[in-house]
Amino acid sequence: MRIRAPKDFYAGLLFIAIGALGAALALRYPFGSATRMGPGFLPTILSGITALLGLSILLRSFVIDGEAVTRVVWRPLVLITAAIVVFGLTVTRAGLVVAVMATAIVGGLAARDMGRVELVLLALGLAAFSAVVFVHGLGQPIGLWPF
Amino acid sequence: MDIFDHLALGFGAALTLSNLGFCLIGALLGTLIGVLPGIGPIATIAMLLPLTFGMPPLAALIMLAGIYYGSQFGGSTTAILVNLPGESASVVTCIDGHRMARQGRAGAALSIAAIGSFVAGTAGTIVIAVFGPVLAAFSQRFNSPEYFSLMVLGLVSAVVLAHGSLLKAVTMIFVGLLLGMVGTDMTSGTGRYTFDIPELSDGLGFVPVALGLFGLSEIIVNLERPEARSLLAGKITGLWIRWRELTQSLPAVLRGTALGCAFGVLPGGGPTLSAFASYSLEKKLADDPARFGQGAIEGVAGPESANNAAAQTSFIPLLTLGIPSNAVMALMMGAMMIQGIAPGAQVMNQRPELFWGLIASMWVGNAMLLVINLPLVGLWATLLKTPYRLLFPCILIFSCIGVYSLNTSAFEVLLTAFFGVVGYVFAKLDCEPAPLLLGFVLGPLMETSLRRALLISRGDPMVFLERPISAVLLGLAALLLLIVVAPAVRRGRDTAFQE
Repeated sequence: MRIRAPKDFYAGLLFIAIGALGAALALRYPFGSATRMGPGFLPTILSGITALLGLSILLRSFVIDGEAVTRVVWRPLVLITAAIVVFGLTVTRAGLVVAVMATAIVGGLAARDMGRVELVLLALGLAAFSAVVFVHGLGQPIGLWPF
Repeated sequence: MDIFDHLALGFGAALTLSNLGFCLIGALLGTLIGVLPGIGPIATIAMLLPLTFGMPPLAALIMLAGIYYGSQFGGSTTAILVNLPGESASVVTCIDGHRMARQGRAGAALSIAAIGSFVAGTAGTIVIAVFGPVLAAFSQRFNSPEYFSLMVLGLVSAVVLAHGSLLKAVTMIFVGLLLGMVGTDMTSGTGRYTFDIPELSDGLGFVPVALGLFGLSEIIVNLERPEARSLLAGKITGLWIRWRELTQSLPAVLRGTALGCAFGVLPGGGPTLSAFASYSLEKKLADDPARFGQGAIEGVAGPESANNAAAQTSFIPLLTLGIPSNAVMALMMGAMMIQGIAPGAQVMNQRPELFWGLIASMWVGNAMLLVINLPLVGLWATLLKTPYRLLFPCILIFSCIGVYSLNTSAFEVLLTAFFGVVGYVFAKLDCEPAPLLLGFVLGPLMETSLRRALLISRGDPMVFLERPISAVLLGLAALLLLIVVAPAVRRGRDTAFQE
């Protein structure tokens, strides 16, 4: 047996995993009956169907041809995700200005063609713009500074 | 009240100075993001949703609607000038529109796109005004079983009309429905999939889900490949369109409008499908199909009218039945709920100024786009030169601020990051996230109506078939599935999307 549609193969695996996880958790909630559905009723059924559909996608990937999964480029994936996490972790305590600058710099590094000076200027500009427009202009309830 | 009174009421509400202002902001913002590749209406609306919290409901809806149809308008500009669809609905416009631009007829292509869009927008507004109340009155006869069946039909047709693998789209709907289960169960108070995280007890916020799946994953995917854009700068000479070109494309505009109005109402249909359908139709009807692909003006006029008409009429299911027909409408539904309005027929009865004001604003917005955008084409073309490396940090920051300010919740920012990664994985595996979002929004509604229906029928599932309206809806859903699985149609569907 040879995998002929790699994208479908992995998508199938993913869906099976989601379904299995969903079902495993849902079995802990009362199932109930059709008349009086418990909180576990639909989650169990939906998880089951997701896993079954995932299985059929997986099996199909051995039969029909499909594209290969393109290579994962780690730099943008890691840095963009990290940038958002940085924002989430800093904004409440350090305030918007610090959070925006940190996020812009971490995220900006994801682009290979980004210049250093350019990035710092961009971060400063975005911090100023966000503070003026979102906090002063639109009155969003976000603290600007760490104190 | 008849339709003219309704429209008068609507225009009265839409033509206040501040609402005109929001309409203009929305339309311009929509055009901007439509012009810029790499950010679409879904991400933009999700990003700006939190800002609408403090606005009056009508102003918020007017602005968000403006972003949607404005983006259809802007997408065509990029398609014609750069051969790069700013929006998925403008993919077909690239074929003949860009060819026209290379022949020095960019002005004519842009003009016919604008004129066609305006004609279509006007027709779309009338269609909503005429059929909206009819459908809303009909939906008064709906009860839990009917609503459940209607949502099933909606999801089925969303899958059928979506592009890409049918099986994967169906699975994505189920994943979406499953995500919709997260949170406290209404009847028993049990926390489902909450992992004892207090923020999850109200369920997953759909702004983090939508922004992660559509906005952030898009940035990551865009950054994976080097930027390649060739702008056809300085070649826009004269926006005037020849009389012969106008008469030549008028039938295409009208056919595209009709097609778009019809397809827009269908769940999952919307602008993209309408544009594709219109292009194939024009090609079939043409005396000399060989001209298509060589700069045929009908190939621009038809699809551009169709996508704008569909952008308008896709509001119908949401405004009359309370059911979103595509991912953008799911976000509009979210915007209404943020404002404390339950979407559906009752909006028309209880808040007529809201319903009719929104519809009137769409026509006003389309008129604004026609007047403002053509002279601004040069500006849009300049903006297109903005390198992506300067653009994406802005999108990133505005997304973060948008999510955070919704509930002042750092947790939701982290959730967005999570769904960004999930969206990236889906993109890598060719799994369309739009059906997932639709399932996610409809999940809780479906569970409620399913529960109620089965409670009334004492657990007998036959209730869905014994009630005539519900049975017809389910029958339609089954028929649709059957048709798609049938090999002949399947082949036709594949070729339609390849064109």
